[in-house]
Amino acid sequence: MNAENDHIALDDITLAYFNHDSALIYGIGNIGRQDDGLGWEFIDSLETSSACPKAEKVKFYQLNLEDADLIKDKRRVLFVDASKDATVDTFRLYKAEQKMDFSFTSHAMSIETIMATCWQCFGKIPEVYVLAIRGYEWELEIGLTTRATSNLALAISHVARPVAKQLRQANDYAQCNIGA
Amino acid sequence: MSRKLIIDPVTRIEGHGKVTIQLDDDNNVVDAKLLVVEFRGFEKFIQGHPYWEAPMLLQRICGICFVSHHLCGAKVLDDMVGVGYSTSNLITPTAEKMRRLGHYAQQLQSHATAYFYLIVPEMLFGMDAAPEKRNVLGLAVANPELVKRVVMLRKWGQELIQAVLGKKMHGISSIPGGVNNNLTAEVRDRFIKGDATIPSIDDMLEYAKEGLELFYDFHEKNRVMVDTFGDAPALDMCLVDNNGDVDYYHGKMRIIDNDKKIVRELDYHDYLGHFSEATEEWSYMKFPFLTELGRDKGSVRVGPLARVNVTKSYSTPLAQIALEKFHAYNKGKSSNKTLHTNWARAIEILHSAELIKELLNDPDLQKDQLVVTATDAMWTGEGVGVVEAPRGTLLHHYKANKEGNITFANLVVATTQNNQVINRTVRSVAEEYLGGKAEITEGMMNAIEVGIRAYDPCLSCATHALGEMPLEVTLLDAKGNQIDERRK
Repeated sequence: MNAENDHIALDDITLAYFNHDSALIYGIGNIGRQDDGLGWEFIDSLETSSACPKAEKVKFYQLNLEDADLIKDKRRVLFVDASKDATVDTFRLYKAEQKMDFSFTSHAMSIETIMATCWQCFGKIPEVYVLAIRGYEWELEIGLTTRATSNLALAISHVARPVAKQLRQANDYAQCNIGA
Repeated sequence: MSRKLIIDPVTRIEGHGKVTIQLDDDNNVVDAKLLVVEFRGFEKFIQGHPYWEAPMLLQRICGICFVSHHLCGAKVLDDMVGVGYSTSNLITPTAEKMRRLGHYAQQLQSHATAYFYLIVPEMLFGMDAAPEKRNVLGLAVANPELVKRVVMLRKWGQELIQAVLGKKMHGISSIPGGVNNNLTAEVRDRFIKGDATIPSIDDMLEYAKEGLELFYDFHEKNRVMVDTFGDAPALDMCLVDNNGDVDYYHGKMRIIDNDKKIVRELDYHDYLGHFSEATEEWSYMKFPFLTELGRDKGSVRVGPLARVNVTKSYSTPLAQIALEKFHAYNKGKSSNKTLHTNWARAIEILHSAELIKELLNDPDLQKDQLVVTATDAMWTGEGVGVVEAPRGTLLHHYKANKEGNITFANLVVATTQNNQVINRTVRSVAEEYLGGKAEITEGMMNAIEVGIRAYDPCLSCATHALGEMPLEVTLLDAKGNQIDERRK
């Protein structure tokens, strides 16, 4: 993993950290199922505001094995997904670690498993963060709930906030180490 | 004392269900059922929506075979506007070939998922191997080069789906009377030759051949097990062309018996006139059967094994060789062997790759006649669409009012068609692996699951529900009391 970047505190992680052409921001979800669309709405918000312009941005319904190939050449990846976790009050940003998770089906895999597969197959792995935004309703309906919309706004304002270390983060980017 | 066994959940399938096995006083299996216990009404949900939204909305039932739902819906819409196969006013060759290309791409990546994620690891590591080993993640540790090829197979298929249908998931290309895009020569060449991001079609063919070789190796080493596991007699059904060969996009519904005698052959528009659906209070999934033959004799199997049983030949050379080997092995009879489904699936991966290669080299895909325009006078307001989805025959039927809003929708998905034969498989496996035993072991649990997974059932589709669902096994005594239960 990226030991040289471990000094970067989670509080210092902002969009500036991903504003690079070897970074990926990946929205997971389904806009047809209410708050499951949070990941996509996040990406739409970035594109509308032209924020983090250098990063590649993608939106998919769920993770699949080929995403190991998608992330293998990236230096930093931010996954944005809706969360049902009641302990997540509004949103949670955390660093993900690779892990073989055996609860997968042929329809979906976890972020940790994609990372582990990437490592097993390609011998390298990006630095991965997850922005989990709390959602509440998952029925067959288009549109976020009011509370999820509010949580999305809080999450965006958190990662888009200016921090003193942003310039240093941008400089750090060129030095970040890929692979184990 | 008689016992009842519950497996809850069955893992690595899509959908929420459980298996209940009834034992008598001597621990002999007297009944076994796959119970599907989640329901979400997609058919109701679509009512009131404009007719043209149906293929867009209903494909959201599934994250894997969404192309099949999209194309099935598109065929219904063709009918509704008076341009479909129910008329002589057919869509253009370019439109049909674009749809077929997307369809074959989906079959390639869907079969590759089922085969390499779920089946090959069990073939390589064995049914008794630890759960954390006998899956694609265990395979990634043991054979990363193989998994890299699986990654590329899926990626290639997904990228072709995106090129054809406009999106990697839940495409937007099919419209009433045709499609909204063709395949440019530049995009075509990328898939034929490959580039820095994807392999070539010839690489895909090599990967597909290797996949089939894996089955041959496994079969050679485990012939008795493969040929006796979960024997489940049923009629076989698939769409066929005028030569009696499988056609994944369009054709007549052909149903054959174990001697390959044609039992019925019908225009799929007449499906409802030939089939009935039984219901059980213990499952949300229905049990279709040929009305005239009744549920016991008239239940059909669909999917890879049924198609390979029904089809007489393939149009592509490598798959044809594999088909001849399959038919010769089964001595001209239909195979009822559940694990031969995996053999059939591996053959179809190869056939799909060959069909894709043929279409990529077809200049019709670069032509511009994409849509046959319908007039108001041609509007029928009703249609039926059928395709051979990866898991088997898929049928959509919609009606709309004069304003064009959906008033009725009925979906019969492959897993529903297979409901009876899956239950027979569960019974067969339970008799072999659980009969006479007093407790459930990991190997027994997995044997049940292997039988079910051969069909790659999507219980989400079958109940029209979304999401992933695990499965359970319950053991009941002769009085119906639950005496054991296991879930993973």
